Amino acid sequence: MPKLIIDGQEIEFQQGQTVIQAALKHGIDIPHFCWHPKLSVSGNCRVCLVEIEKMPKLVIACSTLASEGMIVHTQSEKTLAARNAVMEFILINHPLDCPICDEAGECKLQDYAYQHSPGESRFVEEKQHKDKRVPVGPFVMLDVERCIMCSRCIRFCDEIAKDPELTFTKRGDRVTLATYPGREMDNPYSLNTTDICPVGALTNRDFRFHARVWDMSSTKSICTGCARGCNTEVWVRNNEIMRLTPRYNEEVNSYWMCDSGRLNTWKFVNAEDRVNSPQLRRDGLLVKVGWDEAFSAAASEIKLIGKEEIAFIGSAFATNEDNYVFAKFAKSVFGSKHLDFIRYTDPSFGDDILRRNDITPNSLGAELSGVAPSKSGKNIYEIIEGIKTGKIKALFVMEDDPVAAYSELESLFSKLDLLIVHATNYNKTTQLADIVFPAATFAEKNGTMVNFKRVIQRLRPATSTIELDRSLNGMSMSRLDKFGTKFDKWAQSTKRDARPSWKILTGLAAALGTKYKYQIAEDVFEELASAVDAFRGINYDDIGEIGIKIKKEFTAVEKV
Amino acid sequence: MSTWEIVIFTLIKILVIFTIMMLTVSYLVYFERRISAWTQNRLGPNRVGWEGVLQPFADVFKLLLKEDIVPEQAEKKIHSLAPVIALFVAFTTYAVIPIGPSFNFFDYNISLVVADVNMGILYVLALTSLGVYAITLAGWSSGSKYSLLGGIRSSAQMISYEISMGFSVGGVILLSESLRPIAIVESQGLWMWNAWIQPIGFITFLVSAFAETNRLPFDLPEAEPELVGGFHTEYSSMKFAGFFLAEYANMIISSALIITLYLGGYQIPFIDITTLGLAHWFEVLIYITAFFFKMGALLFFFLWVRWTIPRFRYDQLMNLGWKVMFPLALLNIIWVAVLIMVFNL
Amino acid sequence: MAERIRKEDLNFLERLYIPEIVKGLALTLKVMFKPKFTMEYPEVKFIPPSSYRGRPVLVMEEDGTERCVACGLCSRVCPPLAIQVQAAETESEKERYPEKFEINMIRCIFCGFCEEVCPEEAIVMSKDYELAFTNREDALYGKEKLLVPVHQLQDRIDFLRNYK
Repeated sequence: MPKLIIDGQEIEFQQGQTVIQAALKHGIDIPHFCWHPKLSVSGNCRVCLVEIEKMPKLVIACSTLASEGMIVHTQSEKTLAARNAVMEFILINHPLDCPICDEAGECKLQDYAYQHSPGESRFVEEKQHKDKRVPVGPFVMLDVERCIMCSRCIRFCDEIAKDPELTFTKRGDRVTLATYPGREMDNPYSLNTTDICPVGALTNRDFRFHARVWDMSSTKSICTGCARGCNTEVWVRNNEIMRLTPRYNEEVNSYWMCDSGRLNTWKFVNAEDRVNSPQLRRDGLLVKVGWDEAFSAAASEIKLIGKEEIAFIGSAFATNEDNYVFAKFAKSVFGSKHLDFIRYTDPSFGDDILRRNDITPNSLGAELSGVAPSKSGKNIYEIIEGIKTGKIKALFVMEDDPVAAYSELESLFSKLDLLIVHATNYNKTTQLADIVFPAATFAEKNGTMVNFKRVIQRLRPATSTIELDRSLNGMSMSRLDKFGTKFDKWAQSTKRDARPSWKILTGLAAALGTKYKYQIAEDVFEELASAVDAFRGINYDDIGEIGIKIKKEFTAVEKV
Repeated sequence: MSTWEIVIFTLIKILVIFTIMMLTVSYLVYFERRISAWTQNRLGPNRVGWEGVLQPFADVFKLLLKEDIVPEQAEKKIHSLAPVIALFVAFTTYAVIPIGPSFNFFDYNISLVVADVNMGILYVLALTSLGVYAITLAGWSSGSKYSLLGGIRSSAQMISYEISMGFSVGGVILLSESLRPIAIVESQGLWMWNAWIQPIGFITFLVSAFAETNRLPFDLPEAEPELVGGFHTEYSSMKFAGFFLAEYANMIISSALIITLYLGGYQIPFIDITTLGLAHWFEVLIYITAFFFKMGALLFFFLWVRWTIPRFRYDQLMNLGWKVMFPLALLNIIWVAVLIMVFNL
Repeated sequence: MAERIRKEDLNFLERLYIPEIVKGLALTLKVMFKPKFTMEYPEVKFIPPSSYRGRPVLVMEEDGTERCVACGLCSRVCPPLAIQVQAAETESEKERYPEKFEINMIRCIFCGFCEEVCPEEAIVMSKDYELAFTNREDALYGKEKLLVPVHQLQDRIDFLRNYK
């Protein structure tokens, strides 16, 4: 491999790499605003200027191809002077409104101003005034004054979202970022521009002013909006999810995620209609009861039902762990054959960028974990048919809302002798249920999901429930979580009395006389990995932060 | 006088003395707080009543309303008994201190002392020794290391200083040739106060009196920085008040004793008021006033010293007691003996 | 360090202690009659100098709005985590205002960091030292208690401009 020398360090590179890429690969961070690994090179911010020996002038590292024997200086006197000058120049027209800017705390310009600028401005004239608070799209707010004209957002729309909407107008210091006339930035990936914007020019309208970044904790998780399972960070303050941002995973979602996933997949976690504590229907109303009471009530009701008369509906929204224990519960505790889950597809949702028509996060995982009818068992349509004919008298639904999926079920479900539901929020099915168990949401439990590319990925708890302690269970902690007491601001979190489904089923099985020895989700996955070929030999550590891919023949695994 | 009359008069005298003592003690506490404030550039309690004169009553109400806490480890009976002993000793000592000469009331000749005992001084010394028990028992029965240490310190201190106190008194007795307090007062005449005749004895007695009353600079039994509250650490409410009252009552006893032994008792220096031809009752009144005036001055001195001189270290206290005060007291006796020999007093 | 005096260095009178004790008594007696410094509080109130750090308050502009833009820096810098700020959007030019601004006065340690860090001179330490509560809830000072008209705080603001 060819080699070049950066700051005295010999570095191997591949032919065709630029200097900045070669440097970054070896942990040398050359400052950059306009360059982005996944976008074309534009070279207009000039902050990545480096000194290369035998070149007459400083060159920008982002567009200079690395070549054999090149000697690059990123910290030489000339480079530093140039960098300081560029920073001072960029800051000339940048308003000093960090206090009201949402980007503050994760702002590239702010960071570089600390690291690479002289710290003072010699500019005493009036700054340029441009439009503030321009709603360029349904989800994005633009502040033109803050813009440093890096053009990342323009290139993103052109190259990634494939929907050109943004451009620069005017020239010189009057240059303005704007949408094409009559257009607005409404592509389904528009919010990614707020992530790549190095300053606070483009901000998320949904998150705008809601919280400061330094008050939140972030947890590595995945998006549950479709079968893609984009890697995300869940940002939490006071046990309340504030926003979702994409996390880099080249195999799955690169740096991006869609607006729908970012905005719609977590609001139910904070919602008012969460099921909080187990409930039994008494005189037509759901009444809150304790866990033990609910378990024994459910057990005594279930015992009255014959094994042919009960059907089980698992969920493509639940984790592999939940589905595995659900299937095991159905098969071993009841010997029931009628076990299936509902598949949701939305042909209008998918595209050829990230979004998939399968709008459930774990349909493949549910299937692999064993939620499928046995040979003579009924599948989901036959189960519905069975309810119609009265053969199925009881139904056990986990983390799904069949009534919303099949509207004809509303009248049918009222005929059932027993309807047990695990639900995160009140829905149409819980309205008819006899027993409701509060299920933990994706943000409240450990677990795994398998995306459409057969990548097993981890969910981690970001918000705590009553049975989950932030510090004891190793969840990520913000400054407020670490130092606050229950009398402090944003440390008084509301915690819900919900449990992951596998844990509810473990409790219920115990009430029915079968002991499962699961303490944590990892125990379930361990058993799953030994019981199911697809997961054979995998553990949570292997899955790590970016997941692991199952081979087609479901035997060996390869690292993603 | 018949027995009945003696009993009635004695009871009346006890009542009067007791009332005066209680009031003086209360106001002594008040003055202590005000004088400490003045020496520290403050004002002190001035809220309850005019210039805070009702403060002692507020204090007593506060103490009465407080919860009485007895530690689990305490010897409960002795714990309760200790403050009673302290109070008993403090008040009974006063029985032999004359506050004025005898006078005629209708047909009765009344002496202004509860019990005119001919060995009164011995009685006083005996009772003050008993006072050690109160503190030692309080310290031991509390079941607390601080109390115990305070109690032990206190007993050692009081025993040590009692010796020099006793020897100092020896000089006085040599001169007066009597153990009767009234005789001692009268033997001092108009100006021949023992304080002038035997200044060393006066100083040793004064210092020992400070030590006996556990007042600063000798308040080691309750040295706060090292012993929390000393022997009364585990006392609260009225039991604590008992010790508190006893301490101040002891101060009053000590000053009365010093006046009797060294400062001419109720007599006025240099002026023989019997020659002025005043009415008898007026003379008595002047004597009583003189007594209380002297007492007030001495009590002020007690407070003044407390807010001026810092506390001794324990070894310094013992050194002073045994190596200085005791030899000085002996010296004083020799001095008095020489005086008697030379001047044939 | 003060010079250490040994017993040998003292002359006879000093070793006798009595004259020294008399000197001490004379000093305390003198002090007893000097004028006192006590301020009789509820009747006479201490008016602190502008350098005094009393309870932190929010500056209220002449038009009745708060100067604060809810940047959250005071909340970030507050050592005992006493300040809670929730920002929200406003139509006015400053874009951002505190929808909720709460100081837990039980937690506040009057360090003045909030005032020092404030980029808008919107939170300043007042001269108010009369803070008494009978329960925890009363000690949570919301915007209604924190907002003080700017003219009442001019003293402190001038002080900050001169010395900060």
